[in-house]
This record gives sequence, structure tokens and C-alpha cells, in this order.
Amino acid sequence: MTKAITYNNINVGDAMPAFTSDPVTRTHMVRYAGASGDFNPLHHDETFVKIFGMPLVISHGMLIMGITGRAITEWIDDKYIRKFGVRFSGMTEPVDLHDFENTKQRATITVTGKVVEKFEEAGEKRIRCEIQAADGLGAVKITGTFVAALP
Amino acid sequence: MADKTKIGTEFPPYTFEVEKGKIAEFAMAISQKESKDQVKPIYWNAAAAKAAGYGDIVPSPTFQTCFALWGGGGLMPMLQSLGINLVRLLHGEEEYEYLNPIHPGDIMTGQSKVVSMYDKEKKDKPGKLMEFTVLETEIKNQRGELVIRARTTLVER
Repeated sequence: MTKAITYNNINVGDAMPAFTSDPVTRTHMVRYAGASGDFNPLHHDETFVKIFGMPLVISHGMLIMGITGRAITEWIDDKYIRKFGVRFSGMTEPVDLHDFENTKQRATITVTGKVVEKFEEAGEKRIRCEIQAADGLGAVKITGTFVAALP
Repeated sequence: MADKTKIGTEFPPYTFEVEKGKIAEFAMAISQKESKDQVKPIYWNAAAAKAAGYGDIVPSPTFQTCFALWGGGGLMPMLQSLGINLVRLLHGEEEYEYLNPIHPGDIMTGQSKVVSMYDKEKKDKPGKLMEFTVLETEIKNQRGELVIRARTTLVER
């Protein structure tokens, strides 16, 4: 166990521990489709996306937000999260298993963040963090913020 | 093109019963894991959740996305009724405010309304517009407590 995070021992400018996902596969996307109920064929059917001239299926943005949420809650307990918002800025193509080494970076999501504000609200001591999710090539997928109430 | 006379439209409420298996399944999906014992125990083990200071098992932070998709007949009929062009549609932003916990057995009711619709000029193509539609959804539990307030920004590029 790492030392518990408290309002007093965290400071503006502190970085959230960087989190790196597994390379997103089509199987991960199918699992997410079933879990969430989002069966838009854009996310699993390559014969569908070809109609629009797209070469590959793309991940659900909400899967990338889910991975970002996981990164946050690996650091700060779920029960402390008060707000979580993101802007989607890029699409994510899954890794091609027959060409894994050349395609894994575009499908690997690294989430980083830092504390930008400490404040009191609703009788709680809260922090606001800015977060970003980007792939292994540096392309940004998500920018956002979350607010947590800390003990 | 989104029909801007639809600002203020309230969609019919939908309900979704929170099941423990769905919470574990969703946590596995966002964690890229194949079995529940590879994800945090608060997502599937009531005793572990209670020991960690929760009332019961809780879902991961974006779980509520499945309330509308599984409980509300999907987003598509909603978007079509607004005249949104699905081929041009992008999910621009998603934001949650967490006001009360969610546990297995809770019956969630969500209701969405269109709070704004506006255009913005494309940076790279002057004169061409991107159209924005913002939905706000209030999700309440069976006790009528507001649990989550969600804000979704859709973009037609």
C-alpha cells in the first residue's frame, strides 16, 4: 500500500502517477460494447466502417474515458471522486495482432495528470486535477479534469 | 443538421436496475481484464467493499453510461428525433457529477433534456460550421435521491 493521500499532504503541482493501459484490442472493444450496451458497428465491424472509407474500426471514446477513470481510481479511492469530465480530441484505433509491434503504440493509452487547485466546497476539502490521455505516439485522446474530496 | 427548435426538449425517463454482475462486467471491460478477480474487489466483493469504507459494492466511475444504453433503448432514437446527422456525429465531451453512491439492487431513473444547441465556425475551414448539442441527464435512485448529473456534448462536424 502506498501512503494514503490526504488534503494536507498533497500540493498544487503534484503529479498523479502515470498509468499505462494494455494495447487496446478488438476483443477489449467487443467486451466494452457488451458491458456498456453501445453496439455502434463503428466499434466492431470493419465491413461497416469501410462504407465510410475508414480503414479500421475505432474504439468507443467512452472506453478511453473508462480507462482514464481507472487511472484516477488507482490513485484516489472511488468514494472520493466528486466530478469527472473529459473532452474527446482524437480517435483510437486498436492494435493489429498480425502486426503487433508496429501498431501497439497507437493503441496504448497513457494517462497523466496533476493537481491544479486545492479548495473548499460543500463543506469538503477538495482538489481539482487536470488529466490527459494520449497514445504511445503522443496523440492526445482526452483532456479533462476531476475533482476529489480528500480526508 | 440538428433542429434547433428542439432546445428544451425533455426525453421520456428510462429505468435501469443495477445488478452486481453488470458492475463486475463493466469494471472488467474498462480494466481490460478477463475475470473479476483481476479488478478492484470493491467492484464485485461486498465484504471487501464494506471493509474499504463503502456501503456495498460500487460501480466504476463511468458505469452510468450503460443506464441509457441498456435501459433507455439506446441513444439513437433520441438523436434521430433531434435531427442529428449520425454520420457526422462525434462525442465531444462527457462530464459527471457524483452526488450519492450507487449499489447493487438500486433502481436508477434517468431523464435527459436538451439544454443548448449552437454552432461554431471550424478553425481550419472558415465559413463551415460545426454544430453542438448539449444534453443534461439527471439520474435518481429508487428513493428519489439525485445520484449523478451528467452532461454530454455531441458534435456534428
